[in-house]
Amino acid sequence: MQAGQGIEGEAKMIEPLKTVPISFKVNGRPVSLEVAAGETALHAIRERLDLIGAKEGCGIGECGACTILVDGKAVNACLMLAARLDGTSVRTVEGLAGEEGLHPLQQAFLDHHAVQCGFCTPGLLMSAVALLDEHPQPDRRTVSEGLSGNLCRCTGYKQIFQAVEAAAAHNKEKTP
Amino acid sequence: MRSDVEYLRPLSLEEAVGFLSDHGPETKPLAGGTDLLIDMRSGKLKARYIMDVARIQELSGITVTEEGLSIGAGATITEIALSETVKRLAPVLRKACLTFGSPQIRNTATIGGNIANASPSADTFPPLIVHETVAVVAGPAGQRRIPVEESTAGPYKSNIGPDELLVRFILKPAEGKWCEFLKIGRRKALAIARVSMAVVAEKDARGAISFIRFCLGSSTPVPCRIMEVENFLAGKIPDEAVLSEGGRLAAEKMIEISGRRPTTVYKEQAVKRLFRRLLYPMVKND
Repeated sequence: MQAGQGIEGEAKMIEPLKTVPISFKVNGRPVSLEVAAGETALHAIRERLDLIGAKEGCGIGECGACTILVDGKAVNACLMLAARLDGTSVRTVEGLAGEEGLHPLQQAFLDHHAVQCGFCTPGLLMSAVALLDEHPQPDRRTVSEGLSGNLCRCTGYKQIFQAVEAAAAHNKEKTP
Repeated sequence: MRSDVEYLRPLSLEEAVGFLSDHGPETKPLAGGTDLLIDMRSGKLKARYIMDVARIQELSGITVTEEGLSIGAGATITEIALSETVKRLAPVLRKACLTFGSPQIRNTATIGGNIANASPSADTFPPLIVHETVAVVAGPAGQRRIPVEESTAGPYKSNIGPDELLVRFILKPAEGKWCEFLKIGRRKALAIARVSMAVVAEKDARGAISFIRFCLGSSTPVPCRIMEVENFLAGKIPDEAVLSEGGRLAAEKMIEISGRRPTTVYKEQAVKRLFRRLLYPMVKND
């Protein structure tokens, strides 16, 4: 789905604004904010909504530590204006665990030692969520391509790939 | 983050062009933002207004018209990579889009932004050029059309005026023709191409090259077709000697256009080898 498609009350803003009113959903919860015109989505999510899972690593779209899902698609929140979140549905790492416990990917990351310092983990988890949504049973190459926008300087990636494959296997067991 | 910019989001091309005709020089259109936000962060962006064009309907869509394959300037790289129409009519563009940046970048970056940003290493330039693409540009006086090669004056210098907006691209379809896109970067994902190449070609019944369009990217100020290479290959049956000479001609032309630069020692060899790799399937594939 394209940004803004089928969103209720989508407002055009033909007059330039320094402060932009936006409404969107974060992890299923509707929020309304006033953001600065030049503010990044990452800044709004971390500083205004206090969702500090997404990290700023490089700030230029190379490391993927800021990865969030916007309308189901993985994006670098550091390269997106907050104003553009208007009318979208955002998912962050904070939305993964439910009442029944950790998300299968989170559990798999723990089980397979896919976390060391943890800085890249929220971004990697969100890329992995997008990957498994699109390819529920990915082969190793699909996993590595799906996570190619995320850098990890600790693990060497092998444990991460194993974790994602384990989560995919877990999902297969659960869905007959 | 800059605190003095202002944001606007027109929903129609008319509104966007109307604003640009009044405020063009102080305005920067925001498409995917994957280049623009980097410039904003570094302080390079001087514009007062950021005009978000992502929700302008006229810039979206991938369709086949009487003129050819029409790709909206606002189409994201992911949309193009997943399009069945592009796969059929312009597979070389699809190949370039599949290796563009990273999944996150592909989900937001647009083809219009890639061209308007005018980077010499923009991945979509070589495929668009081998498809002899025409860019449709909207401005105060209506729409005009320019060959995509002429949309750029030099590195990061677009010929699209401050009061104009890229609307769509019209590609000559190449259904059934053989094509390839290759690039060399420092790593597989996310690397800025050091050398890139696109080719669309066809062989006749005798095995001779009957049609060829070849474009070199990342090696000249503006990516361009190398006519010397096309003319040399036309009518020849591709073998190793022919490819070696083609690669030599491509490297020679690159040096003629770009001059001898510190990177030339590397790029001369890289162009020769990448050219061979690019076209080698034509030797084996009978």
